[in-house]
Formats: sequence, structure tokens, C-alpha cells
Amino acid sequence: MSNMYKSIIGVVVVLITTLVFMGGPDKDYKDLKRQLKSSLITYDPDKELISFSLIDHDNNKFNNNRLKDKWTLLMFIYTHCPDVCPTELLNMSLLRSTLSNDKSKVVPEVVSITFDPVRDTPKVLKTYTAYFDKSFIGVSGDQNQIDKLVKTFGAYYERVIKNEKGQDVILQAGESLPEGAIEEGYIINHTAQIYLVSPNGQIFAEFPAPHNISNMADDINLIIENY
Amino acid sequence: MFNKTKTTLLALVALLSMTTSFAMGHQNHSADHKSTGVVIHDPWVRSAPPNAPALGAFMQVHNNTNQDIKLISAHTSGYKDIQLHRTVDDNGMMRMVQQKFMPIPTNGKLHLKPGSWHIMLINPVKVPREGEIVMINLQFDNGTSQTVSFKVRKGKMMMKHHAH
Repeated sequence: MSNMYKSIIGVVVVLITTLVFMGGPDKDYKDLKRQLKSSLITYDPDKELISFSLIDHDNNKFNNNRLKDKWTLLMFIYTHCPDVCPTELLNMSLLRSTLSNDKSKVVPEVVSITFDPVRDTPKVLKTYTAYFDKSFIGVSGDQNQIDKLVKTFGAYYERVIKNEKGQDVILQAGESLPEGAIEEGYIINHTAQIYLVSPNGQIFAEFPAPHNISNMADDINLIIENY
Repeated sequence: MFNKTKTTLLALVALLSMTTSFAMGHQNHSADHKSTGVVIHDPWVRSAPPNAPALGAFMQVHNNTNQDIKLISAHTSGYKDIQLHRTVDDNGMMRMVQQKFMPIPTNGKLHLKPGSWHIMLINPVKVPREGEIVMINLQFDNGTSQTVSFKVRKGKMMMKHHAH
């Protein structure tokens, strides 16, 4: 065998060995899971995040690439929400402050995708999310794309409109809004998990509500340190 | 020697003066509004983005009467609508359920707070800023009503335990 072949095989062997020992996505994070206080590791190496393309509050493309090379805290909101969503946005602002206090810690980017792009345009989201924290990214776009992403993340929402008799009618994702519904106004019932997306752009963990900032900060630090 | 009548009289006078001084010393806190036994504590509106289509108003309602009462409606100006709501965590699904009334048991209280009972202010003409006041008239089913000043302030951190 020529020397060149031997060198190539040698390099390949070293590379494979290094990759195996690096661990990466093949770790099952057993120890980490035991230490977490307020989150669940939901990472599934066999379930890659779907391809999506939405628009951020500056009208720039927001797709899978925007979730790479950084940690992201991702949530779904809608601006007509008087209670839950403002609370969660305030919580995330406080969480960022907590994490930012320690210069050695990573502070994930906070991304809020609207359930309700028909009312929550990029312009609306820009004003809305900036109020809670200037660094927050609001994301709008095609309803079908958003619905696919909602499903992938395991989130859920339904619109509650009123019929002619004033009774509540539930509209599932995909069902079209009747005429006049936007003028009448409607509420959206929804799940309130917050998701942690890894620098590989994959769903890594989720934080169910209610959210305790201190526990969330501890869990995020642990997860990132052990990634 | 103790004279029973004198002792009783003395006790009565003492009691009377205590009650009087208590009544005089008990000034109305800026947040308390007394009206036939229904007392509102800490009324506040959570400050929101300048384009917020909905705001939440919160307070503690103390029912010092000997009847169960209900808050049956709220009125204000400068909003398209004002409604009574309750956020319910239905196994991870946050539902905002409109309420026809809010019940406050006799000698009990109801705490309107984020994640729970709240008054929803819909489509403000202009979103009020921190420090401003929103006047809301509250009507109860015992025939009483009171207009309360709700102060706009930033929300606090969500409580560790769940709202009941």
C-alpha cells in the first residue's frame, strides 16, 4: 500500500475517533436530565426541525439558518392576549437580565412567533416585542408555515369567535376566519411552553408554564454547559 | 372595692374611645375605597406596549358583608369594550374564559391577578402609560357600585405557585 493511502486512512481513523469521543448528538443526557428543575429534554436526533421560512419584525427572512450558531428561547404569542403572553414576555425579559448578570454565561436570543399573523404583522410585532426588551425578535409570516411549526414544536392553539347568537365557536388551526371576525375581535387559547433551540437549529428542551425565572436560568446554564 | 357599674361604664368608655380613635386614625389609603362593606385593595392595570390591543386590570376585592356577592360588570371609557375574564390552565392549555360575573364569598376575598381572574380592557383609544390612572366603575349584584382608580404599573414576576 502506498504511503499516501496509509496517510489518508490514518487521518480518516483519527477523524472518526475524534467525532465519536466528542459525543455530540448521540449523548442521552441522563445525568443532565436528573439535575434539571423546570425543563424537559425533548431533543430527538431522529426528528429534525422542518424547513420553514417566515419574516421577522424588520421584514427580514426568518428561517432555519436564523436558529443556527446560537441558543434560542422560542415561544408562540399573539398581541391581542391581555394576560398570558405579556406575562411570558416580561418573564423572558427578566430571565435575560438574570443570565446577563454573569458575564461568563450564554444569553439565548428570545424569539416570539405569532399564532396570529393576520393581525400581528411584522410592523405590529416590532413595536410590541421591543416594549418588553429591545433585543426580542418578533416573527410573522404565512399562517400555514406557522401552523406547521406550531405542530412540530408540540404547541397548540385555537381561535374563539362569536356566532350571531353571541355564543363561542372554536376554530382550529387551518379553519378560515369568517367575515367580520377581525373587526369583532377574537381570543386565542393556546399552550404556553417555552422552547430552547440548540446551535444546531434543533429543538432541545422545553419549559412548561408556569415559569420560574430562577429555575429556568439554572436549567439553561446546566444545559449549555453540558451540551 | 370595685363597683360593678363603674367598671362596666369604664369599660364601655374605653371601648368607645378606642373605636373612635381607630376610626379617626384609620385614614383611607389611596387604594382603599369603602362602599357598604365591599373594599377594593390595590387596583392596578398592567402597563403594556403602546400598540397593545388588550390590557389587564387586577385588584383584590374584599367582601366584608354578610352575603355572598358577585361583581357583575365593569364600565370605563376610552376602550371598545371591557369584559370580565379568567385565565384557566387546562392541562397546559391556557384558556381565557369570559365570565358573566366574579363571585366573592361573604367575609371572603377574590384576588384578580395575572394568570387568573382579570378585567380585560379591549382596544384602547390610547394605551395608558405607567403612572397614569384608569377609572373603572364596578357594579355588584347587591346593588352597590363604586368607581375605582386603577393605577398603571409594570407587572411583577409570575408567582412560583399556580393561581387558585
